Amino acid sequence: MNWLSRFLPGGGPAVSPALQGELDAVAALPAPELTRAHYETRYVIVNAEVAADGSGGQRLSGVGAVAINQGLLRPGDAFYAQLGSNPAEALVALLRFIARAPVVVFNAPFNQGIVERALEQHLGSVPELDWIDLMVLMPSLYPERSAGLARMDVWLAAFGIERLDQRSALLEACAVAQLHQVALAGAGVQGLATPRDLLETQSSRKWLRGS
Amino acid sequence: MENTAADTLIRTNLEFLRRHAPFDRMEAEALRFLGERLATAFYPAESEILMPEDGPPRFFYIVYRGKVQARQMGGVAVTEYATLTLGPGEGFPIGAISAERRSTNSYIAVEDSYCFQLPAADFLRLQELSPSFQIFCTRYIASLMSQSREQLQAQFSQRAAEQQTMTTSLANLVKKAPIFVSPDVATRGALEKMAEAGVGCLAVAGEDEKPVGVLTQSDILKRIVLTGFDLTRPIADVMTTPPHTLHANASAYDAALEMATHGVRHILVVDAEDKLKGVISERDLFALQRIGLRQIRAGIESAADVQALQRASRDIRQLALNLLAQGIGAEQLTQFISALNDALTRRILELNLDRHDLHGVEYAWLAFGSEGRHEQTLSTDQDNGIIYVLPEWADKEPLKLRLLEFAKDVNNDLATCGFPLCEGNIMASNPELCLTFDEWREKFGQWIREPHPEALLNATIFFDFRVLYGDEKVAHKLRHWLLSMTGGHPAFLKAMATNALDVSPPLGKIRDFVTDDDPKHPGTIDLKKFGARLFVDAARVLALRTGVEATSTAQRLRQGGSRIGMPAEELSAMADGFHFIQLLRLRHQHLDTDHGAPGDNRVKPDDLNELDRRILKEAFRQARKIQLRLKLDYQI
Repeated sequence: MNWLSRFLPGGGPAVSPALQGELDAVAALPAPELTRAHYETRYVIVNAEVAADGSGGQRLSGVGAVAINQGLLRPGDAFYAQLGSNPAEALVALLRFIARAPVVVFNAPFNQGIVERALEQHLGSVPELDWIDLMVLMPSLYPERSAGLARMDVWLAAFGIERLDQRSALLEACAVAQLHQVALAGAGVQGLATPRDLLETQSSRKWLRGS
Repeated sequence: MENTAADTLIRTNLEFLRRHAPFDRMEAEALRFLGERLATAFYPAESEILMPEDGPPRFFYIVYRGKVQARQMGGVAVTEYATLTLGPGEGFPIGAISAERRSTNSYIAVEDSYCFQLPAADFLRLQELSPSFQIFCTRYIASLMSQSREQLQAQFSQRAAEQQTMTTSLANLVKKAPIFVSPDVATRGALEKMAEAGVGCLAVAGEDEKPVGVLTQSDILKRIVLTGFDLTRPIADVMTTPPHTLHANASAYDAALEMATHGVRHILVVDAEDKLKGVISERDLFALQRIGLRQIRAGIESAADVQALQRASRDIRQLALNLLAQGIGAEQLTQFISALNDALTRRILELNLDRHDLHGVEYAWLAFGSEGRHEQTLSTDQDNGIIYVLPEWADKEPLKLRLLEFAKDVNNDLATCGFPLCEGNIMASNPELCLTFDEWREKFGQWIREPHPEALLNATIFFDFRVLYGDEKVAHKLRHWLLSMTGGHPAFLKAMATNALDVSPPLGKIRDFVTDDDPKHPGTIDLKKFGARLFVDAARVLALRTGVEATSTAQRLRQGGSRIGMPAEELSAMADGFHFIQLLRLRHQHLDTDHGAPGDNRVKPDDLNELDRRILKEAFRQARKIQLRLKLDYQI
């Protein structure tokens, strides 16, 4: 299912006209320029908060997000929402916060997967975003620190990043954001100067690993 | 919703800040202001955070995690440390960002580090919002001031060391290549050589240049002339052997001890191979004796004539240099100079009293201007006057004439001792300035009631009067009367304040300093006119307004300022600023007088080191602050 699917009959859940307007506004934002330098780029770090769903699986219950803009983490450029009784509104707010910027997560299969599932479920579509997974990227940026995939706390410990509260999706996003700052410094050393360079390195890693 | 997210992050920032000084005592509102504006940046190990060439810092940094090293750049260290490591909670560069000039340090992350950064404008705003932070920064800059002073001291110690002391090695004292003859030379030849070289001591050394004996002038009389010694005989037969020798690395003190112990006047200096390097005489050592405060004082007090006092005056200058070298601050130094000059002046007065009978006359010798404020530098001319009491039974004219004749001799003697006659004739020998209590009161009162420009100028000189010699009571009476007058004349004070604001601190909008456009002195700042005087004039208004009796600028600021409720820290910072400028003036005058040029107050900011420039700028800011206060108080 793609971005246009909601226009097809019976395509998905009903989205209020007001929210739809906001979604359209987000979609109308200029596409991110992936060939600009990291320090001219706004990255949005997203961290999913989950709860058990009724059928033994997990569902998205909240999202924390912070931006790394021009290399800096600013307290004012942060987002947190619980899905609660109006999940569509929360997700639209998230998309508005992301504003089509490249999205950074640690462990995409989990974070990207669960966020996209929620978008699909509540908005009826999944907007196309550029997802960067630090779990995949970090071993190629800092091969001397860890040869293969490692858990988030291994990477955080390697760079002395404090995990202030693991239950807070926002503070976890902050920790990932600090890791992303480390990643950007490492990328610079390797001549990976732009978001596109990161995305290409990531796909070649995935390809190498056959995933 | 997004606000809550921001709040959460701000809160974590605040929790961090509250664990570190000076943020732990920062006012809540200011802390919030800071917490909202801190952005976090990552710096991998060995990366540069801030370099001098970046220009004026755009951000104030606080280490969040990791270690940052401040490294001195350039050849000359301007602070006491070459490197300094900063850890979590520590901020930089406080001095550079406060002064809005480039940092003298480079700041480098020595391990992977995160730093908060705050835009420079917000840093300045934060100082306005947070008195506690402002105090912290002011103290920090004050510590830079004292570091600069220490550095200054080091500079002077070096100069003083070059001037040689009793700890100097003999190698440094030996000036000429040694005059010596071999032991088999005929005595006549040896004496001829002595006469030719004009030395009082002839060394005798073998072909290996090792000394074997010595012949001095006093030996010639006793052993050659009186005994009718045959001059054709070799010198070896008449020389003193073995000679007293010391190694070149022995100190002047060792040589003095050796001479005293053996009752000799010359020591032969030899190198590590015992080869003759030179001759040290008692007179060489005598010249080295350092001049001490007590000696000068004793010298002044026992001086029998003006010539002796002339020597003392030169010694005072030498002492000032030594005291600077020993690490004394401007305030104490000017006090010393002032105390010694006072003693010198008193002795001149006493010597003249032997010739002028003023017995039974109630009078006091007054010092005005910088002398009155205890703030003389080394190129101060004399400003003095006399206040006297006219007894009911006495005729005024003959008494005044006696006092004027006395004053004239004193003024001339002071000039002989290095205090130039005042070009403006502000001297006790001027009949206008040798007045009774009532006449002085009349004069002062007129200036206060009719504050025209000349009256105001006079007030800046004469209202700083102080008794140097004689009857203190009558002068105190004048002081009390003056303070009660000025306190009751706001119009006069306002005119004085307006006058004090005539000259602004030479701080530039674009460049750091506004320098003189006088083509004769390009790129200089007159630190008297555009520096010290700003403080002096403002402090005087403060003192006259609040009834402070002290005449020194620092005292007037401290006492007068606290009487109108200015915080003590602020006043100390102002006094520090004033003292720093005075120190620069003293240094400048010292360096100049050493080269024989007359000491002036023109300093080239470009010639100062980075830190001194920064502190000078801060000192000027302090001047601006006190001026601003005057402006507000008198609505000028």
